[in-house]
Amino acid sequence: MLRSFHPLLKLTLCLAWIIASLVVFRLSFQVALFAAATLLLIADARVPPLRVLLLMVPFALFGFGFFTTSVLFRAESGFALQMAQEQGGTPDVAPGIVLFFRVLACGMASAVFALTTDPGQLVRALMQHLRLPPPLGFSLMQAMHIVPDLRAEMLELRMARAIRLGRPLRRVPAPGEAITLAIPLLAYAIRRATRAALSFEARGLQPGRRRSNMPQPPITWIDWTLLTLGLAALAMITAVIHTGAT
Amino acid sequence: MPDALAYDRVALRHDGALADAVGPVSLALAPGERVLLLGASGAGKSTLLHAATGLFPESIPGSRRGEILLGGCPVESRRPADWADTCGYLFQDAAQTLAGFTVRDEIAFAPENQGIEARRLPGLVAESMTRAGIPQGWADRRITTLSGGERQIVALAALLAQGAPVTLADEPAASLAPAAARRMVGLLLAQGHAAMVVEHKPGPVLDRIDRCVALGRDGRVMIEGAPRDVLRHHGAALAKAGIALPLAARLQLSLPDHINPDLPLQAALARVPPARAQWLRDAVLPTPIPSGETLATLDGADCAPAFGPVVLRDVSLSLRAGEVLAILGPNGAGKSTLAACLSGLLPPRAGRRTGAPGAVVFQNPEAHFSRESVRSEIEGLNHAPDRVARILDDWALTTVAGQHPFTLSQGQKRRLSLALLAETDRWPVLILDEPTAGLDGAAEAALAQRIRALAREGRGIALITHDMDFALSVAERAVLLNRGAVQFDGPCRALMRNSARLSGAGLLPPEAAPVLGWLEAAC
Repeated sequence: MLRSFHPLLKLTLCLAWIIASLVVFRLSFQVALFAAATLLLIADARVPPLRVLLLMVPFALFGFGFFTTSVLFRAESGFALQMAQEQGGTPDVAPGIVLFFRVLACGMASAVFALTTDPGQLVRALMQHLRLPPPLGFSLMQAMHIVPDLRAEMLELRMARAIRLGRPLRRVPAPGEAITLAIPLLAYAIRRATRAALSFEARGLQPGRRRSNMPQPPITWIDWTLLTLGLAALAMITAVIHTGAT
Repeated sequence: MPDALAYDRVALRHDGALADAVGPVSLALAPGERVLLLGASGAGKSTLLHAATGLFPESIPGSRRGEILLGGCPVESRRPADWADTCGYLFQDAAQTLAGFTVRDEIAFAPENQGIEARRLPGLVAESMTRAGIPQGWADRRITTLSGGERQIVALAALLAQGAPVTLADEPAASLAPAAARRMVGLLLAQGHAAMVVEHKPGPVLDRIDRCVALGRDGRVMIEGAPRDVLRHHGAALAKAGIALPLAARLQLSLPDHINPDLPLQAALARVPPARAQWLRDAVLPTPIPSGETLATLDGADCAPAFGPVVLRDVSLSLRAGEVLAILGPNGAGKSTLAACLSGLLPPRAGRRTGAPGAVVFQNPEAHFSRESVRSEIEGLNHAPDRVARILDDWALTTVAGQHPFTLSQGQKRRLSLALLAETDRWPVLILDEPTAGLDGAAEAALAQRIRALAREGRGIALITHDMDFALSVAERAVLLNRGAVQFDGPCRALMRNSARLSGAGLLPPEAAPVLGWLEAAC
């Protein structure tokens, strides 16, 4: 269901959930949002639970500072207290824990979008419906192409370096090695982008020129229904939590 | 009717260069004519193609003298992008210049830019895929999941969809396995379609072109004419200019009384006396080198790229001192992964590797460079100054010793990368990944001699290549990879005679196959 959901409406819904997470300072709301996003990833997008757990790691690390300050040291950072004060936090729940779950909830809502959306379809939808300039759209797609190629280039550079130094290839580059790889990789990316720009121009892409678009899946009533249901669920959770709090 | 493309005393100079990259050149491409542009590395062939629609000097900084007419109109009368309806490019590195996210996006890109009605686009894409031999099921495949060779074929389908009456192609088949290269050439050089193609190896395209134009090292037109006439009357001049000649032309240069250039090679060989057998053997096969101890062994190895899945299973092979081994197979067969495992850079996922350490000379020689000049790269090997001077001299790098390695020609870069690994005793095993890519005839011949010299010194050399004639000329032994396994391990010569086995792996017999047949019959 999520994978066939039109990317623009899905983006709207995910943004709505993230904005709600940023303005509602309630632990139950953040936990509900986090649980809903995690369930959607596992049940609908069929992402293996272990991968979902791994996905949580960077977000959890980001919010871990608030969590440890709050739970282990029974104290609150100035930032957390200020957020709670400004956003109407309740005194019974530690603000650091709310912030920790907020990071997780926003992260999982982003993951729902990222893992169920075809990036090419999203860029095409942006060009078609939101007038994203085609040179910018195709540059975005080119950037997505470069990422795996950069990885391959980096591996080759690392192997060449290992040969020169006469030692086996390390699984993970040491910090010093990573720094010295930055300039050759940047040079590669610049050369590659220059060649791509030439190719685009040779094939007729130029700013301001009217172009047609390959027919894309239209926004159907199912997409509108999903958006409505998602927004309604968000409104319902907010209302229930607000009622419970008062 | 005006010429499809005409250069009138055109000279092109890159910004900051002291001399013209090419020209002055005057040449024309008639409507429906197919021209092969030959020339040594650095003769300015690619620059000449880029200038056809004004990409040079409009987008590539430089200056132009003379006039270029495209379909009878001065090229500067439109912007380069506007000429996409008239002239289509297939770039040398097409695999790295794809625009779309999926195969369908990529093929639709140029027609979309031309504003072709949206409802016509799906049909146009499907038709182009069919013509290029791409299964319709690939339409939704992401470009990043395709191998380099597959991307090149997708680039061809995109060019066909563009529908421009003039095609300019820069080494379109250089990175393709022979069978895919032949299909590519057939589609690019279809009759009735004006095309100018740059190729270092003219053999596969000679039958499909109407005219050859050869540029000399000075960037001017040296020879022009029908392909057979050019090869028959100017073979020696072409070879002197560093241009690779087809085998038949090379043999005819040496045996003019016996080889008739108008006949197919097999028929021409019928007139060669058996006394010439040794000479013919020397012309197409390497001089035997006695092999020594085993240097490296893979035993039941499962090979996988770093962080990737296993691509080759249960590989058992060894490499001996003095041996040159050709690693052959279609695009994506796992040749580079095998090279990394054989060298010891990547440990096998299962099985084991034993033996001396190995080094890989990567297809992109720039990966090996880390210093500001050629001299300092060589000095990094920690040799005495007189040895550094001798190495520079031996590898013909003295004149460019002060240059940054990235500014060298492709042949010079290849020599420097090989010198960095060969001029130290640290690596008894050397593996060369597509060493002939981008090299002209003279540089390739010099490389073949270097490889044999390294083998004579007692190194074990493995060679990954799509160039079957090059493999035959330097390697005594070959392994054929296909479908995740080693399908053949034996004498290179025997594999090259086995056309069924080769075609099963998307490869074709070398140009020299008739000579091998003749040698078998004569001896």
